[in-house]
Amino acid sequence: MSDGFDALRRANPRARTGFAESIEVAAEAVRARIAAAPPGATSRRRRVPRRRLVGISMACASAAAGAAVIVALGSLGGGTSIGSAHAALASAAGVTASSAERSGTATVRITRDGEAWGSTTVRWGQGDVAIRREDRPEQAGALMLLVDGTVYGVEHRGEWLDLGHPGNIDPDSGTTPAEYLAAVREDVGGATLRRLTGAMRNLSRSERNDGSVVYSGTVSAGLIARERGFKAGQHTRVLPFGYVAHGEAADPDSQLRTTVTTGTDRVVREIAVRWGTWRYTVTYDELGTTPAPVAPENAKSLEDLRRQQLRGER
Amino acid sequence: MKGTDDRRRQRFDALFAAYSPSIVAYCGWRADSASDAQDAVAEVFLAAWRRLDELPEGDAARVWLYATARRVLANQRRSTRRREALRERLARERSPAATESPGAEEASVRAALMQLGPRDREVLLLSEWEDLAPAQIAEVLGCLTVTARGRLHRARRRFRNAFESLCGGDDECPAHNNDRLLRGEHQHV
Repeated sequence: MSDGFDALRRANPRARTGFAESIEVAAEAVRARIAAAPPGATSRRRRVPRRRLVGISMACASAAAGAAVIVALGSLGGGTSIGSAHAALASAAGVTASSAERSGTATVRITRDGEAWGSTTVRWGQGDVAIRREDRPEQAGALMLLVDGTVYGVEHRGEWLDLGHPGNIDPDSGTTPAEYLAAVREDVGGATLRRLTGAMRNLSRSERNDGSVVYSGTVSAGLIARERGFKAGQHTRVLPFGYVAHGEAADPDSQLRTTVTTGTDRVVREIAVRWGTWRYTVTYDELGTTPAPVAPENAKSLEDLRRQQLRGER
Repeated sequence: MKGTDDRRRQRFDALFAAYSPSIVAYCGWRADSASDAQDAVAEVFLAAWRRLDELPEGDAARVWLYATARRVLANQRRSTRRREALRERLARERSPAATESPGAEEASVRAALMQLGPRDREVLLLSEWEDLAPAQIAEVLGCLTVTARGRLHRARRRFRNAFESLCGGDDECPAHNNDRLLRGEHQHV
């Protein structure tokens, strides 16, 4: 392996799959940032971007493909195509992301043919997360908490279990809490919101009587449902907050009809995506005011239970 | 006026098309997380958009972008220290699905890079991954060319030693035989 420098050059992140996508994401982010910048602003100093609550996969930003990836910013420069709607939407995404950074509640619903397919409520605050599967409240694992780096789950009898560190649980057995939490970490922050709003095409704006504003457009499925893993020989694409994408949503090139609704305060209240007979919505509430989840009292340690079980078996 | 705006936008589009892969890659390996990287890239090009008239032409613009990215990333780190505990709690675990597993060779490279100090790593990767000459590295780091050259020399030597200590021979490379490096104990550089 020579002296390592050939290997080092081969390890250049540009050589990894997904690099082209990361540049597209960057182009969208740049477009949104510039659209949101005050017209004619040339100030040398501006606010340092607020840190998001969570990080998206390092693989995306450091992933790589060909060296000469050219992403035309296209509408960036077009006077008519970057309209006030794009600017307002980017601004709303920024405001919302800032509010969501601290705490918030997101309710995710997915329906097919009008029938409920899944529903989850995610609350987060001070770095802790609570995830409740509303569609299967009685099922073991329907409620999961991450508080101070420890995962708690409810078992089928309704008792709390201290499951320990998220990385310790069920490795190699499908979607682990660590994987799910990683996805949620991405989605409760501003990254997902900015990505979706920044990528909207054919944007139109309509104002409702109650003062809320609906932005409608299309977004590439590949930017909505990101690749998250490999299962049963196939890459899986997962919608924000953890639902596996089906149908057109799993085809990254599909253009999915997307609406973003902002309230009178211009904070994003809902993102809705439709394809075929599917409808996927994320509703945001109590951004910045959601109380942080607290660790349950009297949670039994899974590790202790296992030890007891082992002793009993002997 | 419109003609000026059009020229400005054309120049920016050309700048982005030419150098966004470089800045995305650089921020990717320098940032703490991909969202930070994405933020940084956007921030860098927003700065470029605002200061387009002051930007140097040609390859010097690329160096300007690297230097700006470096400052943006440094600011990010400073502004986020208060959230270090949160990061540790939430970012300690990287999703296996979200992180592309490196091959054995890449795992060895990463392990060797992690044995270097951050300064050595930075200067080495600016040279090897970003293909910057010592004078350009000096500009990015804000030091003399002779200093950058010296740092690069030392970083190369340390990397070579680290890599050789990990991979004494082709077949004995720990990374080839040890899943530890592939199971997530590697770190992003």
